[in-house]
Amino acid sequence: MYKYFISICLLFVFAENYSQEQKKDSIISQEKDTVIYKTNYGLRLGMDLSRPLFSSLYSNYNGLEIVADYRIKKNVYIAAEIGFEEKTSIEDYSNSTSKGNYIRLGLNYNAYDNWLDMNNEIFVGYRYGFSLFNQTLNNYTTNVSDKENGSYFPAVLNTIGQASTSLNAHWSELMIGIKAETLQNLFIGFSFSYKILMNVKDPENFKTLFSPGFNRIFESNTGFGINYTISYLIPFSKK
Amino acid sequence: MKKNILFLVLLTCIFTACEKDDFCIENPVTSKLIIDFYDDTNRETLKNVQRFSIISEGKTDSLFVNKTFNSISIPLNSLTLETIYTLKKNEDTGATVDNKIATFTIQYDTKEEFVSRSCGFKVIFNNLEFSSNTNSWITDFTPTTIINLDDQSAAHVQIFH
Repeated sequence: MYKYFISICLLFVFAENYSQEQKKDSIISQEKDTVIYKTNYGLRLGMDLSRPLFSSLYSNYNGLEIVADYRIKKNVYIAAEIGFEEKTSIEDYSNSTSKGNYIRLGLNYNAYDNWLDMNNEIFVGYRYGFSLFNQTLNNYTTNVSDKENGSYFPAVLNTIGQASTSLNAHWSELMIGIKAETLQNLFIGFSFSYKILMNVKDPENFKTLFSPGFNRIFESNTGFGINYTISYLIPFSKK
Repeated sequence: MKKNILFLVLLTCIFTACEKDDFCIENPVTSKLIIDFYDDTNRETLKNVQRFSIISEGKTDSLFVNKTFNSISIPLNSLTLETIYTLKKNEDTGATVDNKIATFTIQYDTKEEFVSRSCGFKVIFNNLEFSSNTNSWITDFTPTTIINLDDQSAAHVQIFH
């Protein structure tokens, strides 16, 4: 066995060969296409359309978001969103309202190769998010029922509004989305984001159930968000 | 544009059709008082209470009626500072004349504590004091006080009869 060790190794060596090779003179040498398609660089400003839509659909939600990005390289954009959100979380044993402002800052990388001078995007992005908000516990009932006896003793609805001010949250988010230039310099975009909470200041003897910009905070300190945006590009230069 | 609108409608459907994702799996959320019943003479052994019924003072419905137990867990009223239970046992025939009655009183302070989004707030009972009426079938109980009631892992009171 050992005698053939080196020979066995040679079994795993393979060589690539072309048995047919194009004759050099059989193709007409072409000049390389030298036309470079230029696209607009500039500041893109817009707003989120999903938030006003949800505000009109649900009575317990209010929100508005302004979006902006600035192209720094062919495929890289600095992006930011600022907004306001107010939401009443209606749970089985509590009813609370979160209200405040947020900012999200980060980068988008366009992974889409455009044809000609088209300017569409399929992007992935990272955001750092920060929000400042108040949360009011509007009312709650204590959970005194159990499976065996049901609610043997009653529980009352406590309506003492317990307001907690200057709460904050920090989070990271990863996003994926698309943007399409539908008219000259006018873009429609959709994106989905997954958020991971880094830090949150909870109210005393309660929890932050909703943070503006982050949405509902799940038990695992994660969250999801969507954006449906319309934005207009103010071109500064063509590159 | 038509495609865009269709896409938006679809998304709205997806995001609004979400079901509740978390359920409270703690049972009970607010701790109940666990009582074990022991033999009066042979104090190490559990002893069943025959045809046992229990009702809280001021209530018209019993917690249970005519059961045989050596351990029970009973809820406390979080809206008052004491809960009085009337305990009935009948060891002989089941006839009404043989009913033996005892009252067991629990006094405490209450404190509310947040548990989780789905479970809400629980009540922690502090500084519990137990007492029972004299000349009842409860001959003795131990301990007479506990500092707080916030777990369900072991019995809180032993009653001898």
